[in-house]
Amino acid sequence: MSFLTVNEASYCYQGNEAVVDRVQWSIAQGEFHCLVGRSGCGKTTLLKIAAGLLQPTSGSIFIDDTQVVEPSDQVGFVFQAPTLLEWLPVTDNVLLPISLKRRVTAKDYTRAAELLELVGLGSFTKRHPQELSGGQQSRVAIARALIREPAFLMLDEPFAALDAITRAELQDDLLRLCEHQKTTVLFVTHDIAEAAYLGDFVTVMSQGELQQAIPIDLAKPRAPEIRYDSTFNALCLKIRKTMDGTA
Amino acid sequence: MSIRIYSFFLLIALLVGWEVICRLLGISALVIPTPTAVLEALWSTLESGYLWPHIWITTAEMVLGLALGCGIGFVCGIILGETEFLRRLLYPYIIASQVVPKLALGPLFIVWFGFGMTSTVVITALICFFPLLENTLTGIHHIDPQKRELFRMLRASRMQTLFRLKIPSGLPVIMAGVRVAVVLALVGAVVGEFIGGREGLGAAIIAAQGMMDSTLMFALFIVITFLGMIFYQAAIWSERWLLRRHIKGKTQ
Ligand SMILES: Nc1ncnc2c1ncn2[C@@H]1O[C@H](COP(=O)(O)OP(=O)(O)OP(=O)(O)O)[C@@H](O)[C@H]1O
Ligand SMILES: [Mg+2]
Repeated sequence: MSFLTVNEASYCYQGNEAVVDRVQWSIAQGEFHCLVGRSGCGKTTLLKIAAGLLQPTSGSIFIDDTQVVEPSDQVGFVFQAPTLLEWLPVTDNVLLPISLKRRVTAKDYTRAAELLELVGLGSFTKRHPQELSGGQQSRVAIARALIREPAFLMLDEPFAALDAITRAELQDDLLRLCEHQKTTVLFVTHDIAEAAYLGDFVTVMSQGELQQAIPIDLAKPRAPEIRYDSTFNALCLKIRKTMDGTA
Repeated sequence: MSIRIYSFFLLIALLVGWEVICRLLGISALVIPTPTAVLEALWSTLESGYLWPHIWITTAEMVLGLALGCGIGFVCGIILGETEFLRRLLYPYIIASQVVPKLALGPLFIVWFGFGMTSTVVITALICFFPLLENTLTGIHHIDPQKRELFRMLRASRMQTLFRLKIPSGLPVIMAGVRVAVVLALVGAVVGEFIGGREGLGAAIIAAQGMMDSTLMFALFIVITFLGMIFYQAAIWSERWLLRRHIKGKTQ
């Protein structure tokens, strides 16, 4: 059964040509989908449509068989830029999704501390966003998206500002967390290897249109060594060829 | 730090120069009194208790005018910022009213509220109203679109977006408006007293003028300047306190 259904959705910014062009897509519960594509091909726009932040010019979106007309509580969203509130310390930024709903309890604080520990910021809880590096800020944004344990997680190039080692660590942490909570994930990236490592499926987007989803049949949970495996490299090449339109 | 010492020496040098020139050229105290005479006048009026009631009255007018003007300006700024329709409807008038010289309304207020404190407080409040209105509107209107999107994603209500995003994020701009208002409030209070005050530092200047006492007028300038500096410092301190979280981590 499909959890997210994108039905013939198109989007144009103020009468320009379609940035997202009649996209048909369905994602089943618990699947990890990666969306790759060149810069400017419409990935962020498609993600925002799926989250209910933008209304498609035509077509419709369904999450769990209910039509999406506004952002849903089930969805955790990580924006391309960290977008932290600079007047709040890191912990309060992470707890923002909760404090907008209800009173923050001691349990929530523990949970926030755990998540910050997980993203490697355990000792930065009292800092303010402007006292953090760019990569640290994006990690706070990831912790913020996870705090409500959403059933559906949408991430827009969340690891773009990180070094290779931290990125690899966070990829493993993300996989572990999503496996554990059975989270459905839609992960936008422009890094082919990252997409192949994380995703159960990799979908290529080019000029507003989606290509066929490429299933990634590598063993789960992923072992970090598979990055250097020949089957892994073959998959990367396949994705690359699809992006180039030569597959 | 050492540059401050030089600034201080510059002041001393200027005062000494002023004193020397006045004495050498024998300028009449009616035109320009010597600094020593001004300080003497200042001291004696403070000691005799003549100045204190005037200082209190002007301070009270400033505080009341600032509180009223800033408070109403802030609330109106929020209301206009939140209702697109009212903003569009009233904006041309707000722009137009910026140009109206508010002090020129002083005589009218005297007709309405009579001589004394009320009309001065009203003038001061009116002058403080506009910078707060303008800055509150700007502050809560120019919010990072990404942050708006974040709050939309988190399904924040309109009130939550106002109090947890717009006001905190606009606070630096709003506080800059308060600083402008403080400077204007002093002008408003003193000029208001020129027009319609029986007491207060402005009225005291008019009285000194009536007695052709330039020395006392200079002494009053000093008191007014000092009062302005205290208010401005207080504004800067409260700004720092309110923005203490915003400033954290920002390199100066
Ligand atoms: N607010 C906007 N108004 C008009 N055009 C826009 C707007 N936002 C994006 N676009 C255009 O839509 C197209 C797709 O943008 P989008 O942000 O979805 O790209 P992307 O695939 O996320 O790129 P990147 O990998 O660089 O983030 C781009 O050509 C861009 O110029
Ligand atoms: Mg993008």
